[in-house]
Amino acid sequence: MSERFAYTEDREVYNTARAKALESLLIEKGLITSETVDKVLKYFETDMGPFNGAKLVAKAWVDSDFKARLLADTPAAIAEMSFPRGMAGAEGENMECVENTPSVHNLIVCTLCSCYPWPILGLPPYYYKDPSFRARAVREPRAVLKEFGLVLDDSVEVRVWDSSAQIRWFVLPERPLGTEKMTEAELATLVTPESMIGATKAKTPVSV
Amino acid sequence: MYTTFEQFAAGSMLGKTDALPRSNGELLFQRFWESRAFGMAIALSKKGHYEWEDFRQKLIASIAEWERQHRKDDPDWNYYQRWLSALEHMLVESDLLDREELDRRTAQFIGCNSLIQ
Repeated sequence: MSERFAYTEDREVYNTARAKALESLLIEKGLITSETVDKVLKYFETDMGPFNGAKLVAKAWVDSDFKARLLADTPAAIAEMSFPRGMAGAEGENMECVENTPSVHNLIVCTLCSCYPWPILGLPPYYYKDPSFRARAVREPRAVLKEFGLVLDDSVEVRVWDSSAQIRWFVLPERPLGTEKMTEAELATLVTPESMIGATKAKTPVSV
Repeated sequence: MYTTFEQFAAGSMLGKTDALPRSNGELLFQRFWESRAFGMAIALSKKGHYEWEDFRQKLIASIAEWERQHRKDDPDWNYYQRWLSALEHMLVESDLLDREELDRRTAQFIGCNSLIQ
């Protein structure tokens, strides 16, 4: 075991040094400045993220016309929202939304690498990038969902959507029961990134 | 480091905040260098030094190479290691960086005691 740990530690030392070496050389060559990477990261922290997707879902739950537009032409419906600029930037293009219903459950995955609708879901969670998850989600989605704590009735059809450079899917989860009196902003707090991947359902009011 | 997807999925469901995205959308990096590698790749493409799709293809190739050499549940898996490797290839191929120069600089940083964060 000690060899394995040593190996892992060495790798971390190497990777840390490698990334620092890269950044320092890029700065010296004038390709980026010392602030460039921080700016990029800040953008992903504050402007693009699952909070955008949660707003879309909550709006679709309270506004059936918007929901119809979101499903028919996802980019156009997203453009209606007052999201920050750059929503169509890196990996944000060509998003499509699929709806969960009592009889259909959708799960998104990318078997090629880890294509993901960044602008509305933020950066992909670790399991999304795990080779085992990607392979198994296609082969045995019900077993994978069960590991996330989601047991679906046999009568529910499971559809797996494979993201690519052309289309980044995301899921419109079902509106939980008992949320009739909640406002759009309150509803948005029930929408997790996992529920928009289709790995779980949206949270219920009691579990908030 | 998680050894299997099952352990990973179960562990992340137990509220390990470093394993799952937080509801307010915080970034998902387990190490400082991962976020730097991520930010550099985005920034350079944004500035037009290469097409994002070209970087993506490098990343896909880098992941496929790892998958050919490892079992899918090998705990050696690290997504951002593949990302870093893809970025290096992209920069060397685009003549933005020389690999020997990068190796020399890396060795200098490894020799520096203040490196480990």
